[in-house]
Amino acid sequence: MPPEPLGAQPVTAPALGTAPATAPALRVLQAQVLDAILPCGSHGSDGSDGSLAREIPGIVGGDIGSARRLEVYANNAAANFLESLRLGYPVVRRLVGEAYFEQCVREYRRTYPSRSGDLQHAGTSFPDFWRELHGADRYRYLADVARFEWLIQESLTAADEAPFDFARLGAIAVHDYNRLRFRVHAATRRFASPFPIQAIWEANADADVEPPVIDLDAGGDRLLIVRAAGGIEFLRLAEGEWALLAAIDQGAAFSAAVTTAGRAAGEFDASATLQKFVLQGVIVDFTIETERP
Amino acid sequence: MTLAARAMAFLNGRHFVVPQDVKTVALDVRAAVRRFQPMLISEHLSWSSAGGRHANDLLPLPYTEEALAHVSARIGIVQDRLGRRILIENVSSYLAFECSHITEWDFLTAVAERSGCGILLDLNNIHVSAHNHGFDARGYVEAIPRELVCELHLAGHTRVTAGNRDLLIDTHSAPVAEAVWDLYRVALERFGPVPTLIEWDAQLPPLAELVAEADRANAILRSPRADAA
Repeated sequence: MPPEPLGAQPVTAPALGTAPATAPALRVLQAQVLDAILPCGSHGSDGSDGSLAREIPGIVGGDIGSARRLEVYANNAAANFLESLRLGYPVVRRLVGEAYFEQCVREYRRTYPSRSGDLQHAGTSFPDFWRELHGADRYRYLADVARFEWLIQESLTAADEAPFDFARLGAIAVHDYNRLRFRVHAATRRFASPFPIQAIWEANADADVEPPVIDLDAGGDRLLIVRAAGGIEFLRLAEGEWALLAAIDQGAAFSAAVTTAGRAAGEFDASATLQKFVLQGVIVDFTIETERP
Repeated sequence: MTLAARAMAFLNGRHFVVPQDVKTVALDVRAAVRRFQPMLISEHLSWSSAGGRHANDLLPLPYTEEALAHVSARIGIVQDRLGRRILIENVSSYLAFECSHITEWDFLTAVAERSGCGILLDLNNIHVSAHNHGFDARGYVEAIPRELVCELHLAGHTRVTAGNRDLLIDTHSAPVAEAVWDLYRVALERFGPVPTLIEWDAQLPPLAELVAEADRANAILRSPRADAA
């Protein structure tokens, strides 16, 4: 037998199709529920404590009350959002501590509420949030740590790519190489910072080990985040390599990309760099312009 | 293998049928279906977003003719895009709408009959919602037509206090409750030996405990009457 009834909903209902004439439209109900349970509503909850959902009309409250019932959803939404950020930003969380992290996530959610059905997107603007919060003080490296963690997330969840088709490249005449537009692997991200972010990240990736003290002035990072068989790897890039890859990534034809990289780096072996990127799986495909510029 | 969408927005969209939106999602799902070739594909009878705002949770629908037409149409779009039938799963809910003039079991059945989808009956969700809203869980199971149910779910839940009453919350963090095992026997008697999944994905116990739960489900699946309480 079921437990004692709690709600006020009738156990028997009229047959299908006998809608009360006053039933509010579905879209109206949905907007009211979201106003009541999300922080972006003008009177909504922020899920930060136990009593923040707002009463709205049209809910069967029974003995429990509609606010308490809505609160379950308000707390779920807040907890799911927080968990997505906790999983996506473990190093930021460790650096600032659990309590401050949670407070910041609540603030972040008020400014940047979920705009996607995919909770993995919840942390998209978290690096911007840290820049706005601590961009001008001694903790300004936190925005770069957050950006680094976000790029790692993007890399981990990016699509797979077919291996580079060397036979297809072999069929291209050498004098046509300058017209090639190469394509960078979907799971590859460039990352640069004036701070030693990779060292900070590595020192804090293992939550059980006390991290060493890292000198923030020890030099910055210019690297490539790639997804390998065993997980994420970091490739340090020379100035010319970075410039070449950036130009390719922005859609430049190879000749134009080489010119750009040469301007940035001076002495620079473009074909060796290209070969390295192809062998590393950083460059996975190419197209060739059908008309000469 | 089964592909279970969790708030993948099959049924969301802004507030009404937004074909562009649901078709795009269906295309993403179609790519996953091609790759993994699941035996069954399911989505929840719920919504999670409106007007560009997302709760990222399984929110209950009002059981009205309007919602029935909306949901059935969207399931139809998804099935057309995937080129196959999907299953729709009942969710645990903590609130109900005064304007609901159809029972959940009739609504679920009508959705299946109108859209041609099958039903994934989550027995823990029925138990949780029956407690939270005061309806008869067994009556729910017995109201669902035999031929529509293609998969069953079992899970554990958590009890929280709400004033001088309590609410059951679907947490997937505990053993299957005895009342839900009883409901499982009722369901197997009615629907036959349907593929069953135990959901336990929070506060995981030692593996042996999970295996013991699966063994118990298998034993009941083989002979629903044998170890009846």
